[in-house]
Amino acid sequence: MTVSIGAKFGNSFERWFERHLRVLMLAPAMLVLLTLTIFPSIYMIVAAATRISPNPDLPWQFAGADNFLRLLTDEQFHVGLWNTLLFTVFAVGAEFLLGLGLALLLDRYIRRLNFLKTILMLPMMLPPVAVAITWKLIYEPQFGVLNEIMFRLGLPLQAWAGDVRLAMFSVIVADVWQWTPFMFLLMLAGLASLPDEPYEAAAIDGASAWRQFWDLTLPFLKPVIAIALLLRIMDALRLFDLVFILTGGGPADRTKTLSLYIYQVAYRFADPSYAAAISLFVLFTTVAFSTWFIKRMRLAD
Amino acid sequence: MAHRRKSIGIQRIAAYATIAVALVVTLFPVYWIAANSFKYDIDIFSIPPQWVPANPTSKHYHAAFVERPFLIYALNSLIIAVSTTLVSVVFGSLAGYALARFQYPGRWRYQISFWILSTRMMPPIVTIIPLYIAFNHLGMLNTKPAVIIAYTAFNLPFATWMMKSYFQDLPVELEEAAMVDGDTRWGAFLHVALPLARPGLAATAIFCLIISWNEFLLALILTLTERSQTLPIGIAGRVTQYNTYWGEISAAGFTACIPIMLFAFVVQKHLVRGISFGAVKG
Repeated sequence: MTVSIGAKFGNSFERWFERHLRVLMLAPAMLVLLTLTIFPSIYMIVAAATRISPNPDLPWQFAGADNFLRLLTDEQFHVGLWNTLLFTVFAVGAEFLLGLGLALLLDRYIRRLNFLKTILMLPMMLPPVAVAITWKLIYEPQFGVLNEIMFRLGLPLQAWAGDVRLAMFSVIVADVWQWTPFMFLLMLAGLASLPDEPYEAAAIDGASAWRQFWDLTLPFLKPVIAIALLLRIMDALRLFDLVFILTGGGPADRTKTLSLYIYQVAYRFADPSYAAAISLFVLFTTVAFSTWFIKRMRLAD
Repeated sequence: MAHRRKSIGIQRIAAYATIAVALVVTLFPVYWIAANSFKYDIDIFSIPPQWVPANPTSKHYHAAFVERPFLIYALNSLIIAVSTTLVSVVFGSLAGYALARFQYPGRWRYQISFWILSTRMMPPIVTIIPLYIAFNHLGMLNTKPAVIIAYTAFNLPFATWMMKSYFQDLPVELEEAAMVDGDTRWGAFLHVALPLARPGLAATAIFCLIISWNEFLLALILTLTERSQTLPIGIAGRVTQYNTYWGEISAAGFTACIPIMLFAFVVQKHLVRGISFGAVKG
């Protein structure tokens, strides 16, 4: 008796489970992501529209758009925005060109790539903290390797990450070292999937290597290039670890990125309302840019 | 003709030379942190630099892992990375399979996939302040579960997309055959699709491990005590305003790199797919 009830119950549960499987399988991931994105979003909107008192017993005061208006006049914010854009354009640009160049070269001249690929991809898998420390060692003005090379070449020694003019350049070089492999590998995967026929036809037509690259390779690679650029740009816009350890945002705020500034506003200046306002700005611009970029690349397909 | 072959030969040599340079540039920094971790302080500071440690010593490893709590940091990193990976891979395969195989009304499948990806577009610094405040209210700051929850949120989009891409590559006929033989959909997932997607599971797991092991910003904000901090935070803590403990951070930094270098060889084949969320087949 109990067995049959149990079996019946088990059966109906099984049927219910099976019927709702497409929702049930999606549910855990969706619940985690919803909780951890919706709550922060609501909190940030509320925080940005208020003035949070340092005294937890006092109620929050409504501040309207005050925190957002501060963005217009806050020079540190402008510096952070400028640095972030500068870094993103030059770092991602250099990574893309170097990665594409290396991929074209290797794809053409070297057949068995696996071992080489494994070595060349190492940098991007290493902990950013370790990467930052390593470059700190290399850039060290007194005993660093880079100044030793400069000295041997008869070039003037530099303070690198500690120099107002060279700090951003130094950060970019370290980032290019770590992330060029990413571009390289994606481009290589793209090149491996190119069809042969159009190239054979082009060769018969006597098209130069340059023309073939421009008219065939680049258009074929476009989707891969778009994805690679999007992922790197999204990461570059949130740069934190490298500057936090390599330069601390200095000297003279020359490497202070928006992420670092938000961190300082929230935890050093203890101003979560303003930090929330900057965060919302960053969030909206990042999402707007990504959506625009994705749409544009789809349209181009 | 002979002339043409010669010019190709020169190009080939130029290609090999470029690759050699790329290899040296790639490997030198990794070698350098390793070399410095085995040098006495005086040799780290020597001018000109000592290219190969003349008197190798394990002093800094002793200082970091015996005298200072880097062993605890490493253990914390390990526990957090493994737990995050488990949760992310389980939830990610479930959702990835659903998005790869099931029909949803209207454009919901596309909308949900895109929404999951878009959560990854949120810069961590943006979400971390509210999370910090929430965990503070719950009394969960400086605990591993708080870090694991935050990391899971950041790993899930990636795990879901990657598993979705692997499931989409499997021929649907095998699952259909199992269902014709009387298996349920869930059974087909469990007994047919999941075992076939094993390489994808392994690759996704290793990627989650690497991302969690390397993560810095979230751990920096969520943990302040020695007992809860991870390896990257411990390393950063030895770069102070007044002094940088080069030997110690090199030893700890190189240690943090070792498991990653081992993993790199394992996931090599899946790398491209992993880093591009499955968007580009490796």
